[in-house]
Amino acid sequence: MFLLQQVFELWRWQDLLASWPRFATAFLNTLEIAVLALTLSLFLGVMFGLMSTSHNLPLRIITRIYVEFFQNTPLAIQVFFVYYALPYAGIVLNEITIGILCVGIYTGAYMSEVVRAGIGSIPKGQFEAAASQGFTYIQTMLLIILPQTVKIILPPLVNQMVNLIKNTSIVAMIAGMDLMYRANAWATNGYMSYGPSYLLCGVLYFAICFPLSTWARGYEEKLKRRDSQTSKELEKIEEVVA
Amino acid sequence: MKKLLALLMSLTLLLALAGCGGDQGSTPNQNNASNGSTSSITPEAITARGVLRVGVKTDVPGFGLQNIADSSYSGIEIDLAYKIAESLGIEKVEFTPVTAATRGQLLDSGDIDLVAATFTINEERKASWNFTTPYYTDAVSLLVKNDSGIEDFADLQDITIGVATGATSKVALIAAAADAGITLDEDKNFAEFASYPEIKAALDAGRVQAFSVDGSILAGYLDNTNHIVESIRFSPQDYGLASKKDATEWAEYLDGLVTGWLADGTMAQIIADNGVVASYTE
Repeated sequence: MFLLQQVFELWRWQDLLASWPRFATAFLNTLEIAVLALTLSLFLGVMFGLMSTSHNLPLRIITRIYVEFFQNTPLAIQVFFVYYALPYAGIVLNEITIGILCVGIYTGAYMSEVVRAGIGSIPKGQFEAAASQGFTYIQTMLLIILPQTVKIILPPLVNQMVNLIKNTSIVAMIAGMDLMYRANAWATNGYMSYGPSYLLCGVLYFAICFPLSTWARGYEEKLKRRDSQTSKELEKIEEVVA
Repeated sequence: MKKLLALLMSLTLLLALAGCGGDQGSTPNQNNASNGSTSSITPEAITARGVLRVGVKTDVPGFGLQNIADSSYSGIEIDLAYKIAESLGIEKVEFTPVTAATRGQLLDSGDIDLVAATFTINEERKASWNFTTPYYTDAVSLLVKNDSGIEDFADLQDITIGVATGATSKVALIAAAADAGITLDEDKNFAEFASYPEIKAALDAGRVQAFSVDGSILAGYLDNTNHIVESIRFSPQDYGLASKKDATEWAEYLDGLVTGWLADGTMAQIIADNGVVASYTE
């Protein structure tokens, strides 16, 4: 109730706006962590996804260990370990770097499972056809399999991407100067305007996540349209040939 | 066989639903009763309810500490809560663990009747909650590693100082350093953490070089690798019992109790009983 009351008190918003540069810096920090962690996780996801579908047993074992370890331990523990424990081993990473590495590696494990499932859903005939035409493994993957996988894995992949962006807020726990940290600091210092502070924080996260998920939905539709167009054209050609 | 199973399952579902319905039928009375007492907190309402709900710290030795072995609480603020309950004529006190970041919201939502959690009184906070006369006055200091060489404000310029989210020690330290001609930056020189044990862990890991909070709290984190910087003591802080802004009668009642205990020496006795240094005086 008081939270709502705070949201309607204009002076609290003016107070908040007066220190917008702090929120802007925090927003940029969150964006930096998100973009770099996203790049890292996509790279790891595709790499480990491919590894887990290969016929090489050691590679598959490495992937399993990576995926099971990071999927089955909390992100918070991983972050705490790097922040509090690694300095004793002489490894001192700054908070932003910790955010990029931890969130990126953690989400990479989920993405590799998405990629693995995607590749697994492509009919075996596609691999055999590529092999019969003399394609190498890399060529088969890059030219035949992965392009077909994209539209299948896009929805779950974007889920992971949006989760990643929201998960970057974990660095607030280690004073990472990100959006969540700033909102918390603002909500609990000075006039304690937690209503406006958390509301603005939520709006800013939404502003990053929503365009991404909207773009992904649009892109998925486009791919599907292109697909049905291609099959219609194929039908026409077949009719002509017949 | 399949049909029988389906029948059995739908029957179970129906029964479960009916069970839920029955439960709902019996609860509204209880709900009404508790709603009536939370919307306006008065001493009479709390006595009628028979339980005092207090927000306390769980990690501050001497003030509010939860014993890991049996989950019992001890400290000045715990003793205060029991004394308040006693004067209300009730025995039961329900403790809710709070942090600097959650205590305000919990008061506003009516989940607790009062906060006794090393809550520093200031003008800004008075705009949001009612505070009693201070029951304890503390001063802020710094806990540093023995080999850090930190002795005065000038040594703070290039280090990171760990503070608790929502605590006033950050603003107070910036002001005290400014008086000594040293400029500290809110972002560069400070890192905020959710709890005191996290700041201690950060100090031990070398993430922060100093741990700044009220001296009474720092005393709980002393060990043979660190010490309190005696030359830096600033900003006396008054701890008060906080209650919801619109519960005026309840606030006056609490203030009356605290003032009385300060005058008759009860408060000094509680402080001494908990092994805490006497209230700070200029």
